[in-house]
Amino acid sequence: MTVPMGDPAATAAGSVEPWAGEREPAQKPDEPSLSAGEWLTKNLFSSPVNALLTVVFSLFVFLVVRGLLNFMFSEERTWRAVKTNMRFLFTHAYPQEQYTRIWVCVGAIAVLSGLSVGLLARVGGGISMKKLSMNLMGTGAVIALGIVLREPSAIVDDEGLALHRDVSEAVGGSFAGWLDSNAFTVLAVLVLANVALAVWFHRQDTYLRGGPEPRIAHGALVLASFGVLMVQQYASGEVVRESFADAMLDRAWWWLAAAALAGAGAALWIGLGDARRRHTFVPAMYVFFAVAGVMVLSSWVYPWGHYGFLEGEFIAEPGSTVAMTTKLPWTVMLLLLVATYHLGRVLRAARAGPKLRVPLNLLWVLTPFVLYWAVLRDPDLDWDHVLSTDLPMALFFAAFGGLVMWFLAHPRIGEAGRVIAAVLVAVAALNWVAAYLGWYPMLQKARISFLLLAVVALLAHNFAGDRSQRMKLVAAWVATMAVFHWLVTLVNSPSTVDTPTDALIGGFGITLIVAVFTLLLAFPMGVLLALARTSKLPIFRVLSTAYIEVFRGVPLITVLFFFTLIFNLFLPQSMTLVDIAGATIGFALFSAAYLAENIRGGLQAVRRGQYEASDAVGLTTVQRTLFIVLPQALRVSIPPLVGQVIATFKETSLLAIVGIFDFLRIADKVISAQSEFLGVKREGLLFVSFIYWLFAYNMSKHSQRLEKRLGVGER
Amino acid sequence: MLVPVTRLLVALAAAAWAVSACGDPDPRDAAGTESASTAASQTTEAPEPATAAGDIVDDSAEGDLLHTVQGRGRLVCGVSGTRVIFSETRPDGSVVGVDADFCRVVAAAVFGDAGAVEFVSLTTGERFAALQSGHIDVLFRSTTWTQSRDTAVGLDFGPVIYYDGQQLMARAADRYTISSEVADIAGAVVCALAGTTTEQNVSDAADAAGIDITLTTLEDFDAIIENFIAGACDVATADGSALAGRKAKQQPDDQEWVIFPATPFSKEPLAPVYPQNQSRFGDVVNWAVYATIIADEKGITQANVDAMAADPPDAEAARLLGASDDEQQSNMGLAPDAFHQAISQVGNYGEILARHLGPAGLTRAGSINASWRDGGLIYAPPAR
Repeated sequence: MTVPMGDPAATAAGSVEPWAGEREPAQKPDEPSLSAGEWLTKNLFSSPVNALLTVVFSLFVFLVVRGLLNFMFSEERTWRAVKTNMRFLFTHAYPQEQYTRIWVCVGAIAVLSGLSVGLLARVGGGISMKKLSMNLMGTGAVIALGIVLREPSAIVDDEGLALHRDVSEAVGGSFAGWLDSNAFTVLAVLVLANVALAVWFHRQDTYLRGGPEPRIAHGALVLASFGVLMVQQYASGEVVRESFADAMLDRAWWWLAAAALAGAGAALWIGLGDARRRHTFVPAMYVFFAVAGVMVLSSWVYPWGHYGFLEGEFIAEPGSTVAMTTKLPWTVMLLLLVATYHLGRVLRAARAGPKLRVPLNLLWVLTPFVLYWAVLRDPDLDWDHVLSTDLPMALFFAAFGGLVMWFLAHPRIGEAGRVIAAVLVAVAALNWVAAYLGWYPMLQKARISFLLLAVVALLAHNFAGDRSQRMKLVAAWVATMAVFHWLVTLVNSPSTVDTPTDALIGGFGITLIVAVFTLLLAFPMGVLLALARTSKLPIFRVLSTAYIEVFRGVPLITVLFFFTLIFNLFLPQSMTLVDIAGATIGFALFSAAYLAENIRGGLQAVRRGQYEASDAVGLTTVQRTLFIVLPQALRVSIPPLVGQVIATFKETSLLAIVGIFDFLRIADKVISAQSEFLGVKREGLLFVSFIYWLFAYNMSKHSQRLEKRLGVGER
Repeated sequence: MLVPVTRLLVALAAAAWAVSACGDPDPRDAAGTESASTAASQTTEAPEPATAAGDIVDDSAEGDLLHTVQGRGRLVCGVSGTRVIFSETRPDGSVVGVDADFCRVVAAAVFGDAGAVEFVSLTTGERFAALQSGHIDVLFRSTTWTQSRDTAVGLDFGPVIYYDGQQLMARAADRYTISSEVADIAGAVVCALAGTTTEQNVSDAADAAGIDITLTTLEDFDAIIENFIAGACDVATADGSALAGRKAKQQPDDQEWVIFPATPFSKEPLAPVYPQNQSRFGDVVNWAVYATIIADEKGITQANVDAMAADPPDAEAARLLGASDDEQQSNMGLAPDAFHQAISQVGNYGEILARHLGPAGLTRAGSINASWRDGGLIYAPPAR
């Protein structure tokens, strides 16, 4: 026991909120602190091979980063194409006058995120101050390096065209000119010098002694190579470029940013003083708020330019800040996030966490449906129909179902309950047969509600208990019916949003919507399939195995083509499946097969003893699966599950092939076909890759945190 | 105690079944809920056909496309969405171009509202499948009318709206001029789109001229132009309209591009496509296009169509604009002023072409797309 029993602070901290893994992060023993130079020697120049790897790799990184920077900032790039099409890229043809709806959706997600993080994230977690200050200084240094690496802008004439020069005349004779024409040879000599140095140092056992000589000598040679490449960049090329000094001056804003970051980091570092050794943490959210805050602030201050397309006219104001319709909503979103995060913290301090956790998770599941059908589509409700049919039917099923649950969850109902449930299932099935044969008319949603009722009735005895237990079941049923009927009514109402194309929304909007709905549909399916595949009943096992093997054996694009182009031919005349619905179904069926295999892996990791123990305490199969097996199986399968989530998110780019205006298609095919931006493609593709990366990387980071919190890989 | 409870429940179940069975079999719900769990379901509300000639429309048989379209209230029109001059998508999602305008002409004729179009952007691979599966009503996607497509694919073609043809584009610095011939590109590197007929056409033309060329195929027309600008391709080949559009927008200041031969070496008549055996709908598409051509011949423009309808210059114009008692449009299942609306809201054939060819540096005069009176091929049957 390392915590002394009498330490009041330790016991208090341990007892405050035992539910959220509220421990301080395990204190790692302090690593012996190294100076920067020692660190370099130990990690980058510890042996001849290591030193040469460092040399070669840093040259490679230098060239790649410089190439990317020069590509991004070249005057040949038409970033205006991306800026003008920003709204198009994110929402396609969603009408501008309805754009508040988009912001309501973003706001709803901001509120939920803020609450969730504030309420559920670990207090002790976060980023250590030491790491933060190092990161700040590092970012500043990287930006400064980027400013220097980038080639200077071309000097342009009145029409904005770059001036050209005769190469031999401009640089001939000077040292720069000589270096330009012999750059390859000089570089080769420098690399060979590194090799010779490595051999010599090795002979002298310098590496073994761990002295400063290797890092100084190799470092100097690497810096010399960088210098050669830099001079060559400024001297070469046909385009007349501004001088080095002018180029550095022109990048004043960037220098300012680099200096501010590095300065903040250095100030923190000095301010910390001896506290550096202690682990003081900043909540990760505060770092996020700071980064987002700087970006939002820059939208009010920095002249990013105002570009757009409104009522057939292009807007292009390069000198001004971004449009009010962009910066104002984002500011509001950030404020919402900050406010709800702190609200979450307040609620957490009031110990509301355990109570709010389930409702919050339910809200996360429901929100996509509500946002899509109630907010984005703006349904045009037919109130006569709602009052005469929809509402009475919802009330009836809520009341009748509630009554059924109340009786069936009675602890002493026994076999009679099963008989009643079986009768209900039979009647529910009969309704579908009757619909198929045309015996009597019935609303489709009545059939679905009835089936739902029958299935829940069949499971009701699992929730048998005292009065309050039964009341909970009834309340859950009534709530389910309310939400279900409300959503069905919304789905059945036509949309009032009028777009010139067949889709309500496109671009990144559709990427996100399809990914979210795919996962919401595929996850439960995957769990069921995995359970079925490991079931003892051969019917379930064979069907599930067949399903999984069929969908894993067919290329995703084939599935998508089937559901967007061919599936409609099999439907009755009056029914059509919209492209996006078809694609979502295809994605969901496909991902479900993969998720099922991931979860099956997790199921196999659950030890036999767990099953036997739950049998021994008399749990039913459903209880055993829900409360013992699945929680353990899902915990183990987190890494592959997140991998599948990221894959699904990225696979939505296949929507482009089946003709849906998704994010990638707009950047790849549509912008480059606009008469103003004909052939401008690379800018859009780079931007799209960045956004995809941003989201995928965040998911991956989040999963890492989740793994750490749940101790995957440790237990 | 349990037995009465059971009885009660059975009675309740029976009651529930009866109550839900009595539910009104509302068509809104019947089809709508099928896709309840999927995604944006189509609106299943079926308003009455919004046409003045309702009595004729009501006679139509089940499965008649015109009836379906009128019931829906919107024309679903397949376009490219990524082709300058014919249909390009603007940053607000709207679609402009010759093809898009003809979609609007048909919509204006059917609904009296040129805005009642839903554009579906299709790739070359999926365009015919989209038409066959009923996903779109009509395809205006600069599609070449060929025998195999007309007969084997199970589609019908409407009147040609633009006569295109494959040409070559090269740099003037390489001593090409607009009067160069296919024989002049001997030994050149010719770049064409992979897997299209342009690839086949250009090698056939080279064989016919008895020359050797190096054919390079690329997946993407943007890539072809980039290679052409960089000098990796000596000659780029595609339909004349596409080359002209690129020349107008992408020709660098230090280069001069020329398009030749003056007579294209392939025939690419671009025409609308609709499903086979939908003659009532086909008639509407055909005559909407013809109406714009007749209006062009008679000088009926967007600006003067109202005056012309009030005071028709001749009997044909009167019939076309619905100003006579002949009921020609009503017999087709359209409103009498259907074509009047089309011309007033979108324009006549010449206006539509001028609007979109102009910025690409193409002119109608002197080309095969001129009116037959001016030596071109644009000709419409008379409105009698």
